[in-house]
Amino acid sequence: MSETSVLERPAAEAVAEAKPSLRDRLAGVPWLGWVVAVAGAPIIFGAFVAVKGVNPITMYADMLASLTTPAQAETVIIRAVVLVLAGLAVAVPARAGLLNVGGEGQIVIGAVCAAGVGLLTDQRLPGIVVLVLMLLAGAAGGALWAGLAAGLRLTVKVNEAISTLLLNFIALDLMLGLIYDPWKDASGFGQPSSRPLADAARLPLFTTGHKLNIGLVIAVLAVAAVWWAMKKTEWGFRLRVVGGNPEAARQAGMRVGLLLLSAMLVGGALAGLAGMVHMSGTEFKLRPGMTLNFGYIGFLVSWLAGHRPLRVAAAAVLLAAIAMAGDSLQINSGLPAASVNVLMAVVLLVVLGSNVRARKAKP
Amino acid sequence: MNLITEVCAGGVRGGTSILYAALGETIAERAGVIYLGTEGSMLTGALAAYAVTASTGSPWVGLVAGAVAGALLALVHAVVVLWRGANQLATGFVVLFLGLGLTSLFGAAYVGREITAFQAYAIPGLSKIPFVGEVLFHHDPLTYLSYLVAPAMWWLLYRSRLGLRVRGAGERPEVLRAYGHSPTLVRYLAVVAAGLLAGVGGAQLSTAYTNQWFENMTAGRGFIAVALVIFAAWHPLRAVGGAYLFGAALALSPALQARGIGLNQFVLDALPYVVTLLALVVLGRRRANAAPDGLAQVFDMTPAR
Repeated sequence: MSETSVLERPAAEAVAEAKPSLRDRLAGVPWLGWVVAVAGAPIIFGAFVAVKGVNPITMYADMLASLTTPAQAETVIIRAVVLVLAGLAVAVPARAGLLNVGGEGQIVIGAVCAAGVGLLTDQRLPGIVVLVLMLLAGAAGGALWAGLAAGLRLTVKVNEAISTLLLNFIALDLMLGLIYDPWKDASGFGQPSSRPLADAARLPLFTTGHKLNIGLVIAVLAVAAVWWAMKKTEWGFRLRVVGGNPEAARQAGMRVGLLLLSAMLVGGALAGLAGMVHMSGTEFKLRPGMTLNFGYIGFLVSWLAGHRPLRVAAAAVLLAAIAMAGDSLQINSGLPAASVNVLMAVVLLVVLGSNVRARKAKP
Repeated sequence: MNLITEVCAGGVRGGTSILYAALGETIAERAGVIYLGTEGSMLTGALAAYAVTASTGSPWVGLVAGAVAGALLALVHAVVVLWRGANQLATGFVVLFLGLGLTSLFGAAYVGREITAFQAYAIPGLSKIPFVGEVLFHHDPLTYLSYLVAPAMWWLLYRSRLGLRVRGAGERPEVLRAYGHSPTLVRYLAVVAAGLLAGVGGAQLSTAYTNQWFENMTAGRGFIAVALVIFAAWHPLRAVGGAYLFGAALALSPALQARGIGLNQFVLDALPYVVTLLALVVLGRRRANAAPDGLAQVFDMTPAR
């Protein structure tokens, strides 16, 4: 390292100094970066599809048109709700310096736990009880799954980026194993799935006939809660110190291990909530491929938003719109839906590449 | 062929793609850059190899295309990380997403399309050796090539001047600079080499092992390769054993199914990832201390952006 090592300064001074430099670094994405990303990425993506023989102008026109119908706009909001939670699941650990790429697996486990509770109780207990139990189960399941990775990091120093990634695959196989055998819906046809949940276990809608469910309330509450926790609580402050300068935090006497663990647990719980909301608000059952890459897109959402809760909400809406546009790609332009990942990735790369102020000199 | 032989042979053949990716990742991480987008390079390599083989009829030309494709994707990672200083782990992951999207965009035309793939050749003489012969010498040319690449990688890293520079870039860049070399340039080359080898691994996967292309066909092999590098303690020869172990875990399911042994399919599917995790747990603590110094920074101080 080129500047004076943190170890040579008194701990308290380092902590006090950590606060302003944190603000610099956590200042989020500069506006110029955003503008370049949002403007440049569609051009690059347009170039790719042009190579495939698709007219980019008509493709974008179709994408925009498909988003403005009320039904589609509703679906964007519904997807954004799940993405907000998935994004927060990445953002909270990221503030502590942890990389949670296990959102996908945590969402799955959350959905599985919520479904399990739902399948047990949806015909026996009143709706509100069922839903609360499912919420708790989903959050607990996701937290547990993330906790595994956190535990591995704290005990045997396995980096959480790798362990959470591997756990994603394991979670998926766990769900598939349940769907194909013990929880299989005997009366289903086509894709194997679990039994659809009864009305008591489904998230209530705002107005009947539409699709928007109270998951929106859950997401809004989550954003508010995370914002408040990060800005106003001792825990949030400590988390940010650990994220900015773990050595200073350790020297200041903070229990770094516990803080990291708590950050991952909260992140996992949020992802589990996302899984519960998605399952109980849209899918109503477990089926292969149900997670629609929400976990990975949530990762992109959080990085796009600089891990700030309010911006996570905005980025979630943006990426939900782009993801929905992916469906339009498939229907109108004949391109595979997954190709919209190119657009998302380019946007992210530009954002990542432009966020370079005040970096320490590389050795 | 009995079960053990079949699983071992399948382990070698199936582990080859992981081995290539792991060898490439070893170089990059030794130079101090972690390339989480290995999975993406494998995918682009797999698709490019498959597509070019389909167009030209020659899997060798496809191999070159695969290597180039993997290298190009890694170049994106290198530019964003080394020039712009972005977080290595996040960038690698986004590069993976880019690879996923690109391969799905350009790969749709090749799903279900047949190609003239690499054939398996039995090496005369050697393949007659009981057990060892069947396990090691009944494979495609790319697998045979990997038998040479792994020791070559060892020699490169530990016995050559270039390898010294690579390791220097990862451990003591200031020393490298004092001798007039540029650690950054070495890192660029290392990352591109990682992508190249991962591309070769992907090519082996699509044109030699499975002889097909479908979206996301690597199914996490790139991540297994990254994990493999860690518990091989960044040593190319130890990566060989690990890669074949996971290849065997991957080969176990079809081998059992072919014999009508009914273990839960999803338990078997999850097995390679569970084994990887367990290996990381068992070997992780000791190995983590063997990390190149430059890498330890990436792992321990992932900044919150």
